[in-house]
Amino acid sequence: MNTTTTDDPQGAPEDTRSEEPRTGPDVPALTRRSLLARTGATLATGALLMHGRDARAQPAAPGAKQAHLPPGREGRDYRPVVVPNGAKLPWRDVGGVKVFHLVAQEVEHEFAPGLKATCWGYNGHVHGPTIEVVEGDRVRFYVTNKLPAHTTVHWHGVLLPSGMDGVGGLNQKAIAPGETYRYEFTVRQSGTCMYHSHHDEMTQMALGMVGMFIIHPRKPVGPRVDRDFAIMLHEWRIDPGARRPDPNEMTDFNILTMNAKAFPGTAPLVVRQGERVRIRFGNLSAMDHHPIHLHGFQFRITETDGGRIPDNAQWPETTVLVPTGSTRTIEFVADEPGDWAMHCHMTHHVMNQMGHDLPNMIGVKPDGLDAKVRPLLPGYMTMGQTGMGDMGGMHHMPVPANSIPMVGGKGPYDDITMGGMFTLLKVRAKLDGEGDPGWYTPPPGTQAQLAQADELRRDGIDV
Amino acid sequence: MAALVEERTGLKTRWNQGTPEDAQVQQHLDALLGSDLTSDRAVEVALLNNPSLQGTYEELGVSQADMVQAGLLTNPSFSGSVGFPLSSEGVTESEFSIVQGFVDLFTLPLRKRVAKEQFIADTLRVAHEALATTAEVRQTFTEVQARQQLVALRREVVQAADAAADLSARQRAAGNVTELALATEQASLEQARLELAQDELALFEAREHLNRLMGLFGARVQWTLVEKLPEVPTIESSLEHLETLAIRQRLDIDAARKQASLLWNALELARSTRFFGRVEVGVHTHRDANGPRLFGPTLSLELPIFDQRQALIAKLEAQYRQGEDRLTELSVNARSEVRATRARLMTLRNMAERYQKVVLPLRTTIVDESQRQYNAMQIGLPALLLARREQVEAWRAYLETVRDYWMARADLERLVGGRLPTGPLPTGTPEAPTPTPSPEPTHEHHDH
Repeated sequence: MNTTTTDDPQGAPEDTRSEEPRTGPDVPALTRRSLLARTGATLATGALLMHGRDARAQPAAPGAKQAHLPPGREGRDYRPVVVPNGAKLPWRDVGGVKVFHLVAQEVEHEFAPGLKATCWGYNGHVHGPTIEVVEGDRVRFYVTNKLPAHTTVHWHGVLLPSGMDGVGGLNQKAIAPGETYRYEFTVRQSGTCMYHSHHDEMTQMALGMVGMFIIHPRKPVGPRVDRDFAIMLHEWRIDPGARRPDPNEMTDFNILTMNAKAFPGTAPLVVRQGERVRIRFGNLSAMDHHPIHLHGFQFRITETDGGRIPDNAQWPETTVLVPTGSTRTIEFVADEPGDWAMHCHMTHHVMNQMGHDLPNMIGVKPDGLDAKVRPLLPGYMTMGQTGMGDMGGMHHMPVPANSIPMVGGKGPYDDITMGGMFTLLKVRAKLDGEGDPGWYTPPPGTQAQLAQADELRRDGIDV
Repeated sequence: MAALVEERTGLKTRWNQGTPEDAQVQQHLDALLGSDLTSDRAVEVALLNNPSLQGTYEELGVSQADMVQAGLLTNPSFSGSVGFPLSSEGVTESEFSIVQGFVDLFTLPLRKRVAKEQFIADTLRVAHEALATTAEVRQTFTEVQARQQLVALRREVVQAADAAADLSARQRAAGNVTELALATEQASLEQARLELAQDELALFEAREHLNRLMGLFGARVQWTLVEKLPEVPTIESSLEHLETLAIRQRLDIDAARKQASLLWNALELARSTRFFGRVEVGVHTHRDANGPRLFGPTLSLELPIFDQRQALIAKLEAQYRQGEDRLTELSVNARSEVRATRARLMTLRNMAERYQKVVLPLRTTIVDESQRQYNAMQIGLPALLLARREQVEAWRAYLETVRDYWMARADLERLVGGRLPTGPLPTGTPEAPTPTPSPEPTHEHHDH
């Protein structure tokens, strides 16, 4: 591996002091940034007092004040997020610094059973593994480029020195194929951020070079949550039968994903009844915002990518619009058991690989048309005259090799006529482990049923 | 001549001269036309029945008469004279003679040779005509074959357009498309129908062309043809071989060669007799008045002092050179035509192979994949029908190429003066216009 350690001036202990002058006279005295910086410094001091021995064990740069906290640890300093269908980026503690290694590379990725494509991602994953750090951590990222093109990594929403911001050509030279760059900074905020390529964004993000960057507060903020999910929203264009996303697509996306999976490839979010649930959404779709609608509960939007929303500014919602380039975090108590749909409410976003130039067949009477066409095309069958709902059951007809049906995943009663940006929140009174608990069985009298004739008569319903 | 044609075409021809055998020929014709026509049968019918060819055969009759004429001596001339006295004492005087041209006796063999060569040259020319007719029949037969298949394919295009227009009408009835969209589809259907009409006319015209070549009328034009265009043969003769073949066996070249040699002989004849004037020998009897009867030979000798046939000889020399030039011209042209036609043949065969091995499988793939895309609701019926229609058009282009190949081949056969050595020709009817667009190839209907 070709490790280049250029740009050393930025690699050296950069700390809050270098930020201080910029909150000078022309800047409001107490910006969020300086506040955080000071908080960080204060916390650091506190930590030094509390964990004196640990702190002393770590070599501080000569003459520089230790400006970060010892690495925040899973289970002790934070409850880790759950990334359905996803992975997390491992780290090592090297001298009190969390050291990560991101490898930008080509990845074979399965969007749903039946659809694989050659994407670009990190560390063998699409999307890149979720980075999980704690406020006050000193983080060092080695980024190795194994792609055939230059790349960079931008830490989206993370507050850091300009030279670490990762915009190719602006903040740094782009990382050439084969090179490894080092990014290092102290995390001075908490919240839901993201990371993605910031070089030839259109191509590289369209091919999947994005990931979540979760920063936990050193001390819990707000009510403590029991489940913390991280979901990255994204959109792609993969023609049925093709094997690579098309980065040139601008409007006609046909694969809409949650953590790079399209329903029925999405894993459910499993929680125990009564638990407080947090779901973090990040959206790095090329062109679309996604109104994510959760069935069964009212939630509150507790964070944007700007930080936590004060309690008195939150209001009840059932749909959260996640604009592209943004994150939104919702919280609620999962007090009602069941299998609850959670999906983008744009109806074309809950379709897989839909053809958008189809003739409108609704209401067309097909009698005799099949007989007319079949001498020419023996496999022909008129479709679509009642809509797309039957598409889930069309598997017996030959379809393009690498493609998935427009809609359809098995539900307990029938095909679920949705695809794409669709998943399930499964709330159960009892859980055996973290896995999928299977389908929910509604207690008697709590499920819609076929109406009986005597009921209809009784209630004066004339059908 | 008939033997020559048979040797070159493998088929019999006959000069119908109004003999009882002609009736047998008519029966044979009916037998040939009774079952499905093949290329060979069509040629045979034409050789037996083409009126223009029969007319050409009559020319042979004329030439044969010339030859007989040449074999005869000029008739002797008989002359007699009677003299009556004008006075009373005179007596009637009479004189008779028979004179036979003498030179004829010497020149007869030579004249016979010239005439025979003339006859042979004419025979060759007529046989060449027969072969040219053969080539034209084969080409027209190929055209009819191709036209039948092209019409069948065009019917599929109409079917596809019909289905698309039908769908559009149903969509319109459901309120899903505009009047404009429906009218566009309907116009497209009408266009396809008009094109079918043109194709059907072309088929009709090709059939009539073949009828003319076969000299048919009345009930005999009802012949049927089910054989499909054969695929291009797997191997071709080498160019050198074809050129040699043309020079060696082309009948018109042979005829020109004979013509030149004939002119040479005629020239020789003229030269060898240039110092002979008219020589006449005869017997002569004469009775003078009161005199004895006299009897004796006569000799009349033309003295070639002024006319030594210079003009005739010069003319024959020029004609001979002309004949040689004509022979050279024919040979040079024949070689060039063979080369050009063979190049055309090779290009067409390569195109046909390209169509068969690459383009048509690609078109099949396109239809199959379009069907899959349709099944996955990525495209609609119009796009699927378009793929099918383009497949049919590719088949049409392929058929036209194969047809042109066989036409070029018939041309080449004419140019080399006989059938081309055929390689392992695919004998069975190829499944040319039967694209199998889907996994269920059960609904094959384009076999008509």
